[in-house]
Amino acid sequence: MKRIIKFFTSIKLAIVLLIILAAASILGTLIPQGRSLEEYAARYGTLSTLFIRLQLTGLYHSIWYLALLGLFALNIIVCTLERLSPKWRRATKPHLVVDPKSLLALRANVRLKRNAPPADVQSEVTTLLAKARYKVRTERHGPRIALLARKRIGGIFGSDVVHLGLLIILAGGILSGVTSIRANIDLSEGDVKPVPKADFEVRLDKFTTEYYPDGSVKAWKSDLTVLEKKSPILSKTIAVNHPLTYKGYSFYQTSYGWNWDSPSVEIWAKSKSDPAFLKKMTLKVGERALLEDKAQTTIAVKGFFPDFVLGESKQPENRSDQPNNPAAVIEGFRGGEKIFYAYIFANPEFRDFAQMHAANEKDKGAETDLAFELKKFEAGQYSVLEAAKDPGANLIWIGCALLMLGLGLAFYWPTWEIKAVLEESQGKTELIAGGIAAKSREAFGAEFEKIASALRRSK
Amino acid sequence: MTESTIFLLTFILYIISAFFYLAFLFSKKPDRAKIGSVIAIVGLVLHTAALIVRTVESGHAPFTNMYESLSFLAWASVLAFIIIDKKFGVPKIGPYLMLIAIGLVALASSPLMPKDVTPLVPALQSYWLWLHVSVTLLGEAFFAVAFITSLMYLTAKEPEKRDRMDSVSYRCVAVGFPLFTLGGLVFGMVWAYKAWGTYWSWDPKEVWSFITWVVFALYLHTRIVMGWKGKRSAIIAIIGFLAALFTYFGVNYLLSGLHSYV
Repeated sequence: MKRIIKFFTSIKLAIVLLIILAAASILGTLIPQGRSLEEYAARYGTLSTLFIRLQLTGLYHSIWYLALLGLFALNIIVCTLERLSPKWRRATKPHLVVDPKSLLALRANVRLKRNAPPADVQSEVTTLLAKARYKVRTERHGPRIALLARKRIGGIFGSDVVHLGLLIILAGGILSGVTSIRANIDLSEGDVKPVPKADFEVRLDKFTTEYYPDGSVKAWKSDLTVLEKKSPILSKTIAVNHPLTYKGYSFYQTSYGWNWDSPSVEIWAKSKSDPAFLKKMTLKVGERALLEDKAQTTIAVKGFFPDFVLGESKQPENRSDQPNNPAAVIEGFRGGEKIFYAYIFANPEFRDFAQMHAANEKDKGAETDLAFELKKFEAGQYSVLEAAKDPGANLIWIGCALLMLGLGLAFYWPTWEIKAVLEESQGKTELIAGGIAAKSREAFGAEFEKIASALRRSK
Repeated sequence: MTESTIFLLTFILYIISAFFYLAFLFSKKPDRAKIGSVIAIVGLVLHTAALIVRTVESGHAPFTNMYESLSFLAWASVLAFIIIDKKFGVPKIGPYLMLIAIGLVALASSPLMPKDVTPLVPALQSYWLWLHVSVTLLGEAFFAVAFITSLMYLTAKEPEKRDRMDSVSYRCVAVGFPLFTLGGLVFGMVWAYKAWGTYWSWDPKEVWSFITWVVFALYLHTRIVMGWKGKRSAIIAIIGFLAALFTYFGVNYLLSGLHSYV
């Protein structure tokens, strides 16, 4: 048992754990995390099954990585506790040095004799030290007076506060992992949707995309209203970096998309034989309109592709949901009979690809008089929100505050100690003092010297 | 004056400063280091002006693309050096640090780095951009100074100079580590929580920040608890800076993730 405790309290274990943790973390950045089985198979071949079995593809959530973090936490707890009790004793029940010899061994030390009784020298020294903001304790040991002066004692607890902060951060991480709720909510304008595991709903009143003059996106904004039992509670416009928070839930603007099912398209029709003819139509998919040309053609919009591409079998396909290459499929009818169909493109570079295809052999040539252009298209956008409730986050902020406080204490709140022994000999008082500073030794040396010379000067 | 003119003048001043520091290195005449230091300070003032002009022109923080952030890192490194030199009197770092600053400015000016002022994407429109990036890069600048002093420790022969370099390295880490923790990890987590709804996503940049942090934690524990000094400390500080450099630079080009802005 003792050996086990000893193993956990050793700083060597901490060092080894930190190295393993760093190495494991590096491994996780070399192997892409959380991809599909196919991607791993293509990337690593036969090794991929081994990687997956060792949880290297979800490394930071793997049992062994979490175990490593757990071991690390345990090591921090044990190490900190072991060092804490002597420090606590040092802060609350300090041991005053009675033997002057050990004081002279300190880097900063002074030895002087004064023509005054010890009580006078003691009060003088105490006043000087108090002026320099030291807290002074004295004890009488027979003929000697032992004195201990300290400032910024909190500094010795810096590392403990850092460790406490880290433990709270780890605890926050566990709490987040176990209890956090996260869900994407797609909302078109006017939609009301329930928030997962909550007793309220959200409604999207308006979704807007703002652009910079160069056409890049400046902001996505969703006007949200929280509804409880169908009645509005509060409204806020959310954007990236500006979430709405209600009852522990936060709503983040994460993405957006287009409703491509029924976009409206503006089509211009021209006739080659009649330059004066121009017909502009705005239609939705599935709608039809009379062209009012000489041949009395009717045009129907059959479909729409936001990102048109010809697939492997030369079939039209949609590459993505982004309007990178919008195309509409139209059909022409005369006398109730389908005469032609065509793909027309919004992208000016592809206008020439708009080819008219005769619907059947006998109508070949009948369509060639007409030309179509896809001038505009409009589809409603929907907003994608992330609803998240993460009770662990508060622990994280407390942990972070302690972490920074601890680092501040450890590096910039140096504990300084001055110990002195006063002894009467032949009507005079001999003072021997020494000082220790774990940090900022030079500044401490200067301060010690200042106090010592003030004592030397005064008569 | 336009930003690019001021930036060019800064570059020239850094070169002149490096020249004087190199002259000091070879001649051992302290007045050359003094001139080098004054010119570096003038260069830093101009560099500050260039960053301000950039901020006013673009309307956002001057570290949203690689050009801007390299320039800012150079600025932070010169600032860190001037502070360390004022406090501990180590002009010998001068030539190496000014060479690094020149390298960073040259890299920023190279045609590889687009210099256009681009509008800020929605994710970066936050005051946390200022806090997160500036404090992190300032911390990394102190790591850069520690890197130089550690290398100088390893190459120095006189015991006195070695002690001095060892102690200055530690002082730099003592400044850089809290700054890096605050800017990189704490501010990073707060911002991630505000922008993405999660304070930690194990994104490669986050992981590498954590790795950098672990390396410097190792530096501090081996030094303070186990009493390591000198050579071993210097090697850890060098590894730590390289990790920080990879976090800043390598992750963008070699690993993909959420931090694909800069």
